[in-house]
Amino acid sequence: MTGAPLLQVEGLTAGYGGAVAVDRLSLSVAAGEAVALLGANGAGKSTLLKAILGLVPAMGGRIRLAGEEIGALAPERRVRLGLGYVPEGRRVFPGMSVRDNLEVASWLGRAERVRDLERVFALFPALEGKAEERAWRLSGGQQQMLAVGRALMGRPRVLLLDEPSLGLSPKLAGEVFAAVRAIAATGTAVLVAEQSAARALSAAGRVVLLRLGKSIHDGPVETLPGDALRDAFLGG
Amino acid sequence: MITLQLLVNGLALGAAYALVALGFVLVLNATAAVNFAQGDLVMAGGLLGVALAPHLPAYLPLPGLLLLPVVLVLMAGLGLVLAAAAYLPLRRRPPVAVFISTIAAGIILQNGASVLFGPEPRAAPPLLSGGTLDLGGLVVAEQSLAIIAVAALLIAGQQWLFGRTQLGRRLRATAQDPEMARACGVRVTAMILITFALGTAFAGAAGLLLANRYFVTPTAGGDLILKAYIAVTIGGWGSVPGAVAGALLIALFEVGVSSVLSYPVALGLLYATLLVILVARPQGLFGEAARRRA
Ligand SMILES: Nc1ncnc2c1ncn2[C@@H]1O[C@H](COP(=O)(O)OP(=O)(O)OP(=O)(O)O)[C@@H](O)[C@H]1O
Ligand SMILES: [Mg+2]
Repeated sequence: MTGAPLLQVEGLTAGYGGAVAVDRLSLSVAAGEAVALLGANGAGKSTLLKAILGLVPAMGGRIRLAGEEIGALAPERRVRLGLGYVPEGRRVFPGMSVRDNLEVASWLGRAERVRDLERVFALFPALEGKAEERAWRLSGGQQQMLAVGRALMGRPRVLLLDEPSLGLSPKLAGEVFAAVRAIAATGTAVLVAEQSAARALSAAGRVVLLRLGKSIHDGPVETLPGDALRDAFLGG
Repeated sequence: MITLQLLVNGLALGAAYALVALGFVLVLNATAAVNFAQGDLVMAGGLLGVALAPHLPAYLPLPGLLLLPVVLVLMAGLGLVLAAAAYLPLRRRPPVAVFISTIAAGIILQNGASVLFGPEPRAAPPLLSGGTLDLGGLVVAEQSLAIIAVAALLIAGQQWLFGRTQLGRRLRATAQDPEMARACGVRVTAMILITFALGTAFAGAAGLLLANRYFVTPTAGGDLILKAYIAVTIGGWGSVPGAVAGALLIALFEVGVSSVLSYPVALGLLYATLLVILVARPQGLFGEAARRRA
C-alpha cells in the first residue's frame, strides 16, 4: 500500500546552538510504509524527529507533508496537519488519567473522539482496564502503548516514533512493533528511530542508517549491507 | 453556638482564600512561575467592586452579586495584560525573572490604587444584603453564606472545566509538560494566557467577596499573597485540591486563634507553622509528590 511520499525531508540541517546534529539529511516515507531510522547513540535520530516536528529549529532544508511545505510552521500546527509524535522516554502526562492522556490529543468532536478512543483500546487492550488510572501508575510497557495511542488520537498521516522499545522486555517490544506494523498497514507513513537493529528491521520495510547526523544508507531491508550497519554503530 | 458561628466565618474567609490560592497554583503549574502579584490582584478586584458599585442601577435587587460577572470578566482581561507584560517576554528566562516582574506588576497595581482611591479602607457592597440569617438559633451573616456559595460555585466550575472538557485537558497537559503538549497539537501560549485570565479572575472574585467584610486598602495584597503561598505550601506545592484545603485550614486557624488570642498572634503562629512545614514536610501536609499532581 505504498504510494507518493507523505513525508519528504530534503537537505535538513538541525542542531543545538551552533552544533550540527543532523547534517543535510534527506529521506522520504510513503503512505503505508514503515521506515526504520537506525544509528548509534548520538547519531542524531532524536534530533531529526524533533526537527521534523519543529521542536528543534531547522537551520536549513525543507520538510513537506503530503507535498505541503511545513518547515516554517509551529509544532502544534504541524501536528494538526497530520504529524504524530511518540517521544523518547514516552512522556505521558503523568497526573492525567489514561483516558485524558488520549482524549487531549484528539481534534475531533466528542462522538468521533470516543470512537478513536475505542480504536486505541482495541489496539492496546491493556489500556482499557486502566482508563481511569493516572498515567504515572502504568508500567513502562503500558506507558509506551499510551504514548503510541496518544499520537494516534490525532489521526496522524505521518507517525514519528523515537525508540519505542527502549527499556521494554522483548515480549512487550514485540507487541509495540506489531502495533507499529498494524498502524502502517492502515496507510500511515511511519518513521521509527531505533538503536536495536534487529527489532527495527522486524517492523520496517526500509532502513535509513544515520551516522554523525548524516544518512549513510537508505534502502530496503533486504539490501542492507552488513558493513554499512557495522559502520553506523562502530564507526569506520 | 459561638463555635459554629466562628466555623461559618472561618469557612467564608477560607473560601475566599481558596480562590486566591487556586488562581495562584493554576498559574504556577502552567508556567512554573510564582505570580507574586496575586495578592495585589485580589486588592484590585476589591477596589474594582468599590468603583463599580455606584454605577449599579438602584432599582435592581442583589446589588453586590451583579458585580461578580463584571469583576470576573474585567479581571480576566487584566490577567491577559499581566501575562503579556510580565510573563510572555520572560518565559525563556530563569523563573526568578518572572518572580521579579510579577512583584513589579504588584507594585504598579498598589501605586495605581493609591493614586485612584487613596489609602483609606473601602468597602464593596454585600453580595446579597448586609443582614443576618437565623438558622434555628445560629445567627450567621448572609454575606458569609454568600461568600461560601459563590466560591464553591467558582471552584466547582474550575473543577468541571479542568476535569471534563477538552479545554481543561489541554490546560492540564500544558501544565504537566508544555513541550509534549505542543507535540500533541496544543497551542501552549494560548493555554497559558487562559490560565492567567482564570487565575486573575479568581483573585478578583476573592477581592470582591472579601471587600465587604474586611474592607480593602491598596496595600492589602501583601498579606493575601503570603497566605496563598502558605496555603499552597501546606497543600503540597502544585497540588490543586491541596491549595484549596490549605486555604481553608489557614482561615479556620486564623479565625480560631484570633477569637481566643488575637489576630497578630494568629499571623505569627501561621508563619511559624509555615517554617516548620517547609523544614519537616516540604511535600506539604497531604504529601502528594508534585510530579503526580492533577
Ligand atoms: N538538547 C541538546 N542540546 C545540545 N546538544 C544535544 C541536545 N540533544 C542532543 N544533542 C547532541 O546532538 C547529537 C545527536 O543527539 P540525538 O539525541 O539526536 O541522538 P540519538 O541518535 O537520538 O541518540 P540516542 O540513541 O542516544 O537517543 C549528539 O551529539 C548529542 O550530544
Ligand atoms: Mg535519541
